[in-house]
Amino acid sequence: MLIHHLRVLPLLVRMHVRSQMEYRGALWLDRLAQILSYGSVFATIGILLARFDTLGGWTWPELALLFSFQLLAYSLGAAMSFVQLRDLEELVRLGTFDTLLVKPFSPWAYLVFSGLNIGYTGHVILAVALMGWAVLSIDFAWSVWSASFLIAALISATLLTAALITMIGATALIWVRSNHLFSIFFGFWELTRYPLNIFPGGIQTILITAVPLALTSSVPVGALLGKPIPILGDWAGPVSLVAGPIWVLMAIAHWRYATGKYQGAGG
Amino acid sequence: MSAYFAFARSSFHSQLAYRNEVWANIFGKLVQVFARVAIWQAAYAGIGGTVVDGVSLQQMVTYALLGGAVMGATRPERIIGEIGRSLKTGDIAVWLLKPLSYPLYLFANECGSFGYRLMTQVIPTVVFTALFYGMLPPASLFDGLMFIAFWALSFTLLFLMSALFGLVAFWLMTSFSLDWILGALLQLFSGLLIPFWFFPEPLAAIARHLPFAWVVYYPNAVYLGRLSTADVWLHFGLGLGWAALFLTGVLWLWRCASGRITVQGG
Repeated sequence: MLIHHLRVLPLLVRMHVRSQMEYRGALWLDRLAQILSYGSVFATIGILLARFDTLGGWTWPELALLFSFQLLAYSLGAAMSFVQLRDLEELVRLGTFDTLLVKPFSPWAYLVFSGLNIGYTGHVILAVALMGWAVLSIDFAWSVWSASFLIAALISATLLTAALITMIGATALIWVRSNHLFSIFFGFWELTRYPLNIFPGGIQTILITAVPLALTSSVPVGALLGKPIPILGDWAGPVSLVAGPIWVLMAIAHWRYATGKYQGAGG
Repeated sequence: MSAYFAFARSSFHSQLAYRNEVWANIFGKLVQVFARVAIWQAAYAGIGGTVVDGVSLQQMVTYALLGGAVMGATRPERIIGEIGRSLKTGDIAVWLLKPLSYPLYLFANECGSFGYRLMTQVIPTVVFTALFYGMLPPASLFDGLMFIAFWALSFTLLFLMSALFGLVAFWLMTSFSLDWILGALLQLFSGLLIPFWFFPEPLAAIARHLPFAWVVYYPNAVYLGRLSTADVWLHFGLGLGWAALFLTGVLWLWRCASGRITVQGG
């Protein structure tokens, strides 16, 4: 069964990518627009720092590292989940999800890999370029250990992002509508461009527990740079590394529970 | 006219149908506003002052509340998305058969959504955060009244800009990038997060003359009494000029676009 899945997955991805590449002009224009959009967010933070020097004790290159880490972890995680799981609500409403259940294939794997989103290329290009600049500009002594931590934390953050989006999407199998939860997700996600310590205690707690998006940005980057991390303190580094795998296990359990509860809403 | 009123009412009611979404939106908006205030508190704390460039922290908190809650009630992506969807599904062709104006329908639809967001997001957020942070009142009665006029102008301008960007989709055949490009321009040049007082020159001078400034910056500056009476009237007139220009652009583009409609649906 596993080998069958592994053999089919690349075919699903190739099919979707080819369909996306059909309209190349539109594809690249869309990516350029996304680079412009995130670039303007970055420029806004730059203007703020140009006038106020630091934000919560973080300098401009440190914030650039934070912003690029947040954007890269999100884009890698969301490429494997966001559009696919956001559309799940519509599949449930129309009853199309039933057809996935009768396929001899995992519905989650089919959903994710048949819609693997190459649309996040713009995010990745901007984030990698910015991260490269930040790594070179930052006042920090890099070592093999710190570089390994950065990569491991990035993988964990990617898994955590995909797990959270999967859980939100899977909720549609129980509630029929779950996309409004994405507005909460993105509301909190926008905050994670900034250091955790600038927010009130309640928001800090939510960002580490219920909507743990701080673990995909300021907690790992802060731990790397030796910044004081609220609530977690010295545990910030280890927690950043285990958060992704733990939330993936929780997402698997939630997906199984939601598919077990699914009754179908289509006609 | 009653048809457009019906569209606005329908748009308002359709969004009220899902209560969970109403609560999620209020919560999302509150988080956003709390975060903006936190950013300004951290920025001022960083330089150890309560007044920067003649702007007090309390004024900046008020600016953040106004920018986040009040001026954030219009959603350009909804307008552009609506045009993109109609174009993709072919529904746009049906509008040519109806004795109604498509741009006016879009405006009525957005008015209904605006009313919904005003009641379910703006008012609760402003009341809650004002109690929590202590929002400043308008600088004077005149500034308060003119703020409402500027707010109406901001809504109209944002609608016209969004419709203009949306109609360009007739030539590009995709509305996705247009939504993101307008978002990028608004993020940087509307003063949504950072007012132009803190922009470096000559970027501030450029930003003050772009139409995006009338979306957030000028209404908020008027509320806080940062413009003299003469400047308020001058900028209101300039804003009306931008609105007239965009209105002409929308009507002209819609006329051109109507001739380009190719229905590919079944």
